[in-house]
Amino acid sequence: MSENPRLARLLEHPALWRGRSAAQVATWPTGFPALDTGLPGGGWPRAGLVEILTPRLGVGELHLLIPVLSRLAKLTPARWIAWIAPPFEPFAPALAARGVALERQLIVRTGAPLWAMEQALGSGACEAALAWVQGQARPRSLRRLQLATARGRTLGFVFRSAAAARETSPAELRLAVAARGNGVEVVLIKSRGGTTRPVRVEFGGVDGWQG
Amino acid sequence: MVGKAKGLGLRAESQKAHADASGSPLSALSPERSSACAQSAQAEELWLALHLPAIALDAVRREGDGSQPIAVVELAQRVQRIVAASPAARERGVAPGMALAAALALEPQLDVRSRDAGAERALLERLAAVAGEVTPRVSLEPPDGVLLEVRGSLALFGGVDALHEQVSAAARRSGARVRLALAPTPLAALAGARAPRARAQAAFRVMHRAQLVGALAPLPLATLRLPPDVLARLAKMGVTGIGAALRLPRAGLARRFGPATLATLDRLVGRSHEPRRDVSRRERYRARHEPAYELTEQPAVIAFVTPMLEALEEFLRRRQGSITALECRLQHRGGTATRCRLRFAQPAFAAASIGFLLTERLAAIALAAPVRACELVTSRLVPRRSASASLWQPGEHGGGLANEAPELIERLRARLGEESVHGLCLVPEHRPEQAWKRDGALRAPTHASSEQRAEDRKRQAADNERQRLLAASCPLSAVRPLWLLSAPLLLPAGGDAWPRYEGPLEKLAGPERIETGWWDGRDVERDYYVVRSGAAVLLWIYRERRPPNEWFLHGVFG
Repeated sequence: MSENPRLARLLEHPALWRGRSAAQVATWPTGFPALDTGLPGGGWPRAGLVEILTPRLGVGELHLLIPVLSRLAKLTPARWIAWIAPPFEPFAPALAARGVALERQLIVRTGAPLWAMEQALGSGACEAALAWVQGQARPRSLRRLQLATARGRTLGFVFRSAAAARETSPAELRLAVAARGNGVEVVLIKSRGGTTRPVRVEFGGVDGWQG
Repeated sequence: MVGKAKGLGLRAESQKAHADASGSPLSALSPERSSACAQSAQAEELWLALHLPAIALDAVRREGDGSQPIAVVELAQRVQRIVAASPAARERGVAPGMALAAALALEPQLDVRSRDAGAERALLERLAAVAGEVTPRVSLEPPDGVLLEVRGSLALFGGVDALHEQVSAAARRSGARVRLALAPTPLAALAGARAPRARAQAAFRVMHRAQLVGALAPLPLATLRLPPDVLARLAKMGVTGIGAALRLPRAGLARRFGPATLATLDRLVGRSHEPRRDVSRRERYRARHEPAYELTEQPAVIAFVTPMLEALEEFLRRRQGSITALECRLQHRGGTATRCRLRFAQPAFAAASIGFLLTERLAAIALAAPVRACELVTSRLVPRRSASASLWQPGEHGGGLANEAPELIERLRARLGEESVHGLCLVPEHRPEQAWKRDGALRAPTHASSEQRAEDRKRQAADNERQRLLAASCPLSAVRPLWLLSAPLLLPAGGDAWPRYEGPLEKLAGPERIETGWWDGRDVERDYYVVRSGAAVLLWIYRERRPPNEWFLHGVFG
């Protein structure tokens, strides 16, 4: 952690608090080492709201989550992974080929994603919930989602347009994701102790996109 | 209570197996040993028998019957004969067995009713339903008896006297006059209840097996309902009481009167077990209430329905049942009704959770007219299964799901509609749009038992093998997008051979030809390509191989 052993010993003192200490949260590895080192706690929070802002749908934001979804779908005891108001049909053969257990997926079609998202996050029946929110979402409704993640110990992902980056949000983690070459570039707009530099995540060509 | 009774049943079954294994009643088995082991295992059962001495009369009794003479007649050998008579009729000399003409000569005012076997059976079933409040193990003993296993209920209902009082009061309310008897075996309880009894004599009540034979000895043999010829031959030998019959040598009794007679006596004293079939109730709940004034607002309707749901919960609690569906009918003026049907992902019984779902559903319904009456009709009752709650919350230190999963589905479905919530499953198909389907029958994700996990692993291995074979047969099958468009989107043709989608497209992979399905009329002949759009989004597009060779967008890699 530190090259100076005396400094390291000093930092172990319980009375000493540093900005990064707040990031001592339980996490799941993202599956991309570059992203793990950039995120607070070294991965996606186990319970909390993550906002993912993209300039448009399909720049690679779902591929970013495939490793963690595949991991969460193998956990015992089993809980669901809810897809709230997905923009297209989640293609089952592709998910199965990437190791995401299909019997744990719960697809919810709705015009009111925030309500369904709050139910899914707060029920405790889901390991993770993904919601695609079009247009405006008031900070108050996002705050409700954030509280629901704590209630249900659930990881929540909300996909919104990049235009929402300027709005305030109570989400624990806000990422802007944009396509770069054969991968994506992730910028942490808001985090509790994460990196401030953009993180490049490579999927490795079309083969990598296959998972 | 249920669990306890089940445990008893199991023990009794194993005991029966033991008794059977020890040989036929005629074998040279020493009776002491047999009865000793029977005693140790069955000592815990206690049967309460309800005997209806006047069931023929009770079944045809009507509202407003006073003390007028009533007689029930049945046609036997072309003569109408009296089978039962009310006390007033008996005072005038009308007696069972008398021809109807003779009875009418004695009492011209006699109210004659014909016997109704269906009503008698219904009365027994009604009694069994009432008895279900006391114990889950109720069995019928047609034509005129009901048996209850009550050992487990004694402590709950405050002892024998209180239980006795409660059962006879409940029987009186259902319009039956009953005689009760308690004994450790079903047949002994029935015999005790059937035995004629002087007015001041106490009810037949034997709590322990050791006292059973002594208590049974003075009862007449006729209470066992042995075949008439057996009874007559025994009577000729001077055997008319149960005590005398029990003193007869076993081998001789079996030889002269058949093994069935000996088996009856063995069941009577508990030397062999008598398995009883419990009544399974097939009932529904239906309640209709009319408000004092017409309800126009949804909240008023919900407030009116809530006490009805609480009554339903109480009903279900008494029967230890739950329901899988509920219909709420809101009746308007002029006979029209709004129907609101709920189906539960798992059997429900709690008024709070049913009320939540009903509120969600009612909020989505527009009331066409003011509501004059509410009616609740349930599905058939299913036995309640209560799981023990987990110490940990789901997701906390490996805590599993209990009711959260079905509750979430019910909640989402109640608001968004049945088909809006579904799962995914694979279909072995090459056509992308048919390689998956929606799975509407959502089951809670569970990892219950180790057998199940082993089975899962086996299935998983088979799946993997299938996937491997599939991949081997079709090398490009792994290049699949995460998103599929529900309907392919027609792309405008570009300047060269390539189409355009928000700018020019850059080819990354392809073509992959999918040409199949000629047998069901939805055949496809397509060349799939992976392309990158101007906005750096990876797309899955295809070109129809049939003219006019149009381009379609089919998937987004996401």
